Order: sequence, then C-alpha cells, then structure tokens
Amino acid sequence: MINISSDILEHLGAEIVNAERRPFTEFKPDENTAMPAELRNWLVRLRLLEGVPFANLVADSELLPQESIRWFYLDRRWTDAVVQGALSVGTVNSDDRIQIDAQYPAIRAELDTEERNVRRVEGMARFAGQPGPISGFLLRSSAVSGWPGFHVRAFNVDLEDREDDRFPEDDPRRMRLLRLERLAPAVLLCMFDGIPKVVHIEEPRQGVQFGFMHEDNGNQRSAKLRPRNKDDFEYLDEDGAKDIDVPFRVGSSGVVDIRRLSEDLAAHDETGANDDGLDSAEYALQLIRFPWRQVFGEVQVPPVHEMFRPSIEYVSMVNTTFKL
Amino acid sequence: MPVGEGKFKLHAKLAAPLTAGLWRLRADQHFTAQSGDTPLDESDLRVNQENVHLRIRSPRYLLPPDQILSTYPPANSFGSYGSRLPQVVIKRRTLPWERSLDGAPENTPWLALVLIAEGEAKLESSVDVNNCVTAGVELKGLKEVAKGNCLVAKRSLINSVFPTKNDIDLLAHAREVDIRDTELMMGDDDGFLAVVISNRLPLPGKDEEGNDAPVKYLACLINLEGQYDVLLNRSPDPAPAFATPFLFKTLLYQEQPAQDDHRVMGTALAPGGPGINPVDLGELTNPVPLAQGIKGSRSTRYQSGAAVGAGAKPFAGSGQWSTSSPVINTSAKVSLQMAEPFRIVDDFQMHPYDPEYRFPVLLHWSFTTTGDTTFRSLMTNLDSRLLGDKGGSAKPSNGRLPLEVAESGHVGLGHQTREGDRVRAWYRGPLVPHPTKNTGSDRLKLAHSSDQLRIVIPDGREDLSLATAFEIGRLLTLSQPSIIASLMRWRQADYHAARLHSLMASNRSLWEEMLGVGFEKIDAHKIGPLVGRLFADAIVKNPDQFLGNPLARVTPGRPLEFEGKASAVLARGLGLEKSLFTGDLSKVLNGLRDAKIPRDDLLLNELGLVDVRDTLGVDLDKQRIDLVSGALSNKLLDDHLTGPAFPVTERFRVDVLNDNLDVILRDPRRHGFTDEDES
Repeated sequence: MINISSDILEHLGAEIVNAERRPFTEFKPDENTAMPAELRNWLVRLRLLEGVPFANLVADSELLPQESIRWFYLDRRWTDAVVQGALSVGTVNSDDRIQIDAQYPAIRAELDTEERNVRRVEGMARFAGQPGPISGFLLRSSAVSGWPGFHVRAFNVDLEDREDDRFPEDDPRRMRLLRLERLAPAVLLCMFDGIPKVVHIEEPRQGVQFGFMHEDNGNQRSAKLRPRNKDDFEYLDEDGAKDIDVPFRVGSSGVVDIRRLSEDLAAHDETGANDDGLDSAEYALQLIRFPWRQVFGEVQVPPVHEMFRPSIEYVSMVNTTFKL
Repeated sequence: MPVGEGKFKLHAKLAAPLTAGLWRLRADQHFTAQSGDTPLDESDLRVNQENVHLRIRSPRYLLPPDQILSTYPPANSFGSYGSRLPQVVIKRRTLPWERSLDGAPENTPWLALVLIAEGEAKLESSVDVNNCVTAGVELKGLKEVAKGNCLVAKRSLINSVFPTKNDIDLLAHAREVDIRDTELMMGDDDGFLAVVISNRLPLPGKDEEGNDAPVKYLACLINLEGQYDVLLNRSPDPAPAFATPFLFKTLLYQEQPAQDDHRVMGTALAPGGPGINPVDLGELTNPVPLAQGIKGSRSTRYQSGAAVGAGAKPFAGSGQWSTSSPVINTSAKVSLQMAEPFRIVDDFQMHPYDPEYRFPVLLHWSFTTTGDTTFRSLMTNLDSRLLGDKGGSAKPSNGRLPLEVAESGHVGLGHQTREGDRVRAWYRGPLVPHPTKNTGSDRLKLAHSSDQLRIVIPDGREDLSLATAFEIGRLLTLSQPSIIASLMRWRQADYHAARLHSLMASNRSLWEEMLGVGFEKIDAHKIGPLVGRLFADAIVKNPDQFLGNPLARVTPGRPLEFEGKASAVLARGLGLEKSLFTGDLSKVLNGLRDAKIPRDDLLLNELGLVDVRDTLGVDLDKQRIDLVSGALSNKLLDDHLTGPAFPVTERFRVDVLNDNLDVILRDPRRHGFTDEDES
C-alpha cells in the first residue's frame, strides 16, 4: 500500500511543479478587488439610479410635461451620496467608520470603472480609465408606449447623416448607453457614457413596412405618396412637388385604389415604369416606408437660457431686491 | 449573388416551375442499333415506358404556422397603424404563384390579404373544406386538409373592400434578403420570402366628439381560386379623400332559444366564454384540423351563459356540446379567440339583393388601430429642453404654488422639519441641467450619516439634495437582506485579513524567505494554499525526512520457541492429550486416529468470503488514507489531486475539524493548562 501512496506523491510533485510555473493570472471574481462582486454590482446599480424613486429623479411633474424630452447631466455628487448611504448600513461604531474611511477611495475608483462596463456586450474589451461625465434624457411621450423597443443611438461626432446608414454596436463613433429603461408606460430614461454630439431615436424596425404620408383633416383623411427613383432610391422631388394623391375607392373606408395609384406613378418614368407599367416589385419599392429617425443635436446650439428657463434668476432677483 | 447586409432585393414574382396538384412524368426511350448485318429497331430494343407520379403539395385552405415569418401589424396588438398597409411575410417564396386562377392572366397570385373592420364580414372556423367556398364552386385537385376557416362576405363588401382584378398582381411580391441579416431575415432559411400586402389602410374611427376611436381589424389571407370572377374588374372612380366613418355604439340583442330551453329544463352546458352564438357551436366544437403534424384544438368549450346558475345540472345528453381534451393547441386557440368578434355581422346596411360569398381563409389575425399618429409626427413635435425647465404654462390650475426653479436646477419643495415646522427647502435630483464638477477634489467627501450632507445656503433655506440621496441609498440597501449580509461578510473578512496581516508583518523576513515572494505580494487571503504548496514541495524533495521507510513486503514470522519435549510441544500445539504421543508408533497412530479433533463450528453461511474481503479492504483503505492525508492539506488535494488519475481524492479529505489546532489540543503535554493558570 505504500507503493500506491508514493505513486500519488510523484504525481503530486509533477502537479506542483506545473502549478509553480504557471503564471498566477486567473482571478476569481472577488480577488484583487476592493469589494465582493455582489456588493459591487449592487453599488453600480445604485450609481445608475436603479430603484431610485421617480419623484427623486424629477421633483415635480411640471418639469416633465407630456410630449417632451428633457436632457440632463448626471450629478456625481448625488450618486456618490447614494453609495455612501449604502455603505453606511451596519456601521455601528467608529471602528467600522474608520474602516470605510480607509477603503472608500478604492471603492469609488472601482465603481467609476465598473459603472462604464454595465451594458458591455460579451466579448468587448472592458473599459477603464478616469470617470467621464454622464448625460442622458428623459422622454415622456405616447411614442414610448406606442412604439415599444425603439432604438436610441448616441454619437460623439457630427455624422454625415444618411437615411440608410447603419451603425454596428461597436462602432467607435457610437457612445455607449449605460441605461435605457421605461420607468413608466410612457416615460423612458436613457443615460449615455459621455456627452453625445448627436442622438438618434429611431422607430423600431419591424421588418419592412409599406404605407403613405397620411393626413387627417378632421372629417376627411387623405394620403400622399412621394415617388422614388428606381435606380438610386432617392425621392424624385424632395420638397413634394411631385407628390401623388393616393386615390381611394369611393364608398369604403381606407381602401386604396391600387391600380390607379400605379398608373399615377407610371406618369413618372423614373419610377421604373416601362410601357407595361409597374410590376409588383417596383410598386412595392415605391410604397416602402423607412423607420423614422429623429436626430437631436443641431449644428446651431441654442443658448442655454432658451433650453432652460428657471423661475428664479440671479439677475432679476438682484434687480427686484435692490430696486434697481 | 449575395444581397449584402442591410439590403434587400425585390422580385415581381418567383413562379414555381410546377403548380400544385398531381403530375405525371412520362419517360420514353427509343433505341436503334446495328448488330452485324441485322439492324435492330425499336421493337427489338424496347424500353418500358417509365411513369413517375408527382404530387406537389401546397397549402390551400390553411397556412401552416411555420410558414409565416411575420405579420404587420403584429397580431393582437394595439397601435397607430393608420398609415401603414398590413402585410404578411411567408417563408415559402413561390406560394402566391403556386396555383392558377381560372380566367386570370398567367402568374396572377391566388392569394389576397383582405382587411375587414369589426362587423363587416363573418369568419367561420372549422368548416368542412367543401363548404369553405361558395356553393356551386368546386376546387379540383388535392384538398390537403379536411377542415378550414372561411370568410363569409357579402357582395357589397367585396365591391368596396376586396382588391379588384387588376390590383391583385401588384399586391404580392418576393423579397430576397441577406441570410446574415438578422433584422430582415428573422429566422428564414434561404433568404427568399414572399410578401402579400393588403389594399386597405387600417384607419381608426371617429367617435361622436370627433376624436379617434380604436377600431378592431381582422386581416385574412384568402384563397381566390375559382372565384376570381367575383372580384370587380376595376375599382370605381376614385376620390382623393374619403369621409371617416363614425362609430355608433350599438346594442346587440340575440335571441337564443337554446338558452331558454336549458333554463326551463334546468340543464347547463359546459362553462366557457359567453357571447357565442350557439348556432356556430356545432362547427366550433369540432376539432380544427391544421397542417400535417399539428394537433388541432379539441377543447373549445362554449356555453350559453344564461343557463349556468346555481343548482343547474350539467348537461349530460351527448358529448357534442362540450368536447374537451387536455391537449390544447395554443396557436389554434389564440386564432380562434381573435376570430370571435368577427362571428357576428351587423346587418345594419341591408341590401335587397346581396348574395354571400365564401372564401377559404389561409391565415387570419386581428389587431386594433388606435389612431394614425405616426412616430414621425410625435418625434418632430417633441418639446426638447434641458431638465429643470419650468415649462410653458404660467400657473398650475390646481391651486399649487408656482414651481420654483433656481438657475442651478434646484427646485423649491415643502419640507417638514424634525421639529414639525413647515418650511421650504431646496432639492435637486441627480439629473441636472448643467454639468457638475466631478473630478479630483470636487468629489464628495465620505459622509457617515445623512445629516453630514445637509447644507444651509445663504438665503437661509436648507439644501437637502445630498442628504436625501444618502438616505435613499441607505434605505434601498436596507431593503435588500442579501446585500446587507454581503456587506457584513465583507467587513468581517477584512477584519480577519487585517489581523492576519499585522501578525505576519511581525515575522516579515521569515514569511518572505519561506514563500519566496516579496512581502507586498503575499495575499493574506491566499496564505493557506501557499503554505500548503510549500509544504508539499518540501515533502516531495526530501521524502525521507517526512515519511518513513517503505514497509517490507513480507513480515518475517516470530522465531519458534521449543520448551520441553517435542511430543509435549506437539500435543499442546494440536490441542491434544500429551499421553497420546507416548508409547510405540502403532499405539500413537491408533490413538491419533481415534482422537477427537477439537474445532470451532464455522458459520460459513453468515460470514462469506466477500464480507471478509470487504471488512479487510475498508481497514486497508483507512490506513492508507490516514497516512497520506495527514501529510497534505485539503486545499492542495482539491487543487491538484482531482480528475481520473486520482479517484480517491474525495476520501483523502480530512475532516475539517481535525486541524492543527485540534492536534495541539490533543497534545498530552499541554493538558492541564487553562487560561486561569496562565493568568
């Protein structure tokens, strides 16, 4: 039996030699960090205001009226205070507080890094470095409830905007979203890692859609179609001079006279109509509606006092107080 | 040729080489040859005619669910779909052109997507396929399924809503997308799709006040085979606009004699959803046959609601009214539910002669249009400002104070102090209109309680923003017991690490020499495995210092001791009388032969050979394990002695309690020492 044991020991020796040579690189989640992983995840979530009551984000409903979008910067002093409140749980004596005091700088530095990696796509490199500013918007609109799952993209450069441009998730021009969440059926909170130059909000792409430009004139509805060039897919006339009134069938609601519309389209040769008129593919091409992309971020930035109108202003207060 | 990601190609039609139905392939071969001088003709070299029968199947009355890639608008959804034409995308690219319509130009699609508002037409489900078409029309060829759904539409509706003959071929096309493009592919296999568009916009209605009212629409993919002539040749002269229909709230009273009968008779039908016309029940309760491989729904239970009451006995006449089975096909059930409001047609606009036509429905889904606002109109009209803007409205109507917003983004709010005074305080949430100072020394200093973060600003009011934030963080954390536990565990572990570190710091040089790394690199959390590894290494390098010599393979026996006469020793050893061995040889032999041999009775049946081996084996193993595991730490065993090479690792683990401390406590030299003695 001693022979068996000595065999084991020989194996053990080989294993130990291997282990010695292997570099010590694999850290488990809790090693080499300022705090355990679950605590870190919790604090990062707090930092991004998850679970914070909505009344504490927007103190008054007048600040977020219906059909409005409100842009903001994130106040790090506020989020730091939330983290400090979380860390204060269970501190009973001054010993505990001294310990937190000693560790707080490391904790804060780690959270600064970790909060940027929250929505990291699997396989992307981790972000590191100094904490940058965080900005975002609150959107209260029936678009949030009516079009669930629309796309928000932020860019750090002014883009040469083209309707059919597509931007992959790891495009270097794209800024990362730290949070994109519906807080209420019609309220959306979005936070960016940085301050974007341009923000796109795009209608959800539920496949390709067909339709018209639609008008509601009280008791009557009508629709227009803007013809496209078959070859380059551009509109024939951007300002609508060549728009075609969509013919509807008399006596029925919303039934489009498909054939007559195609004959109207065929009046423009660029639509691809040959002598035989349009075929169904050319026809479909004319009807395609793209998901609407709303672009925020003008080249001409309006002055701040137009974008933000406080009710108490320093200048006017001084004037009224001192009767100037 | 690949299409390219994000792009797609439209084809006017992708006609199938063969239309659906029965086909026969006939092959004839004609040979002639010359064999020497005799020519061989066809009769000599006859090859039998080959007949191959083909059956090309194609959905005709029901579209299998796996053939539908997507529908727009989504089934059962609510939304502003008023400016978009409904469409269905079908995976089978040739489907709209697989059958031919009598009297129509070649390659006219046989499918049309018809959009019907609530109350305009009737959808019947589970109808025998022969009844799915108008009486007098017969569809030749394979039926594919036994039962289908059908749409019963009046002549007037066909004239006003259905596509006309020359619309149909514009409403179906094929689409080719890139197979890597998940957004457009959505799970197709070859990237070719057939699309059928409707010719009607799903517009919302108007109520009495002129506001948009939601309207429920049913989209039906119908089969036009044999009934192409029913459609209008071309639509009447168009109007550039149309009046919106007004919705009327109508009360529908349905006389249902069957219910009254049940009430009189005190019987009840099986429970189910109310509001179903019992006339339809016969059809409904039959199983819905779907395409091959799909179980139909057998469990549509319907009732006539009035008959269900206290004391009503279940109707037990025949099982026809309440067939139910535990197998419920969800998709069949959902589509039945969607069809429900379309069973009753309001006959408000009766025409004197308005014949009914029946069309097989391959697929139907319903959705509700709530308006025709578009994403674009909403987005372009958004009020885009910085958060904290006081808004356009001058004064709130409900008697509240006007909103106080300072230039810094602080909002004045009512505040009840701890003393009970009602004052106003400033509050600013985490979302602010101006960038804040975030870096370096501007970061918030650590506070241990929220009161440390209360600020009184020069106008005499308090700024409670940060104090509120502190409290929110504290309360949110207190609401999560697991986080509290983790916080406490972390704190405790750090205390241990700190204590260990200070202990090691006093013997700094010793540890550095032993572990061979700089003191700064010694991780207090990993000291155990490091020491274990070191120890095992030392054992391997100098086993003679730690382990004894190997045991000899054979243990020599004890030397035999002879005392007294040989015969006496022999007798004692055999357990016999000494006198038996005395005397001459024949006497001894006779004596031995008659002697009773003393022996124990072996209980062979209870103590088998196997038991003996097991008993001994356990003992052997225990010895072995004790020997090895006493020398090695558990961590070492776990880290390096696992896997198939070491099947016994589990058993090597020493009981956790049996650590060095126990060894020390067991040391006899330390017995008798207690804390009191030392003090």
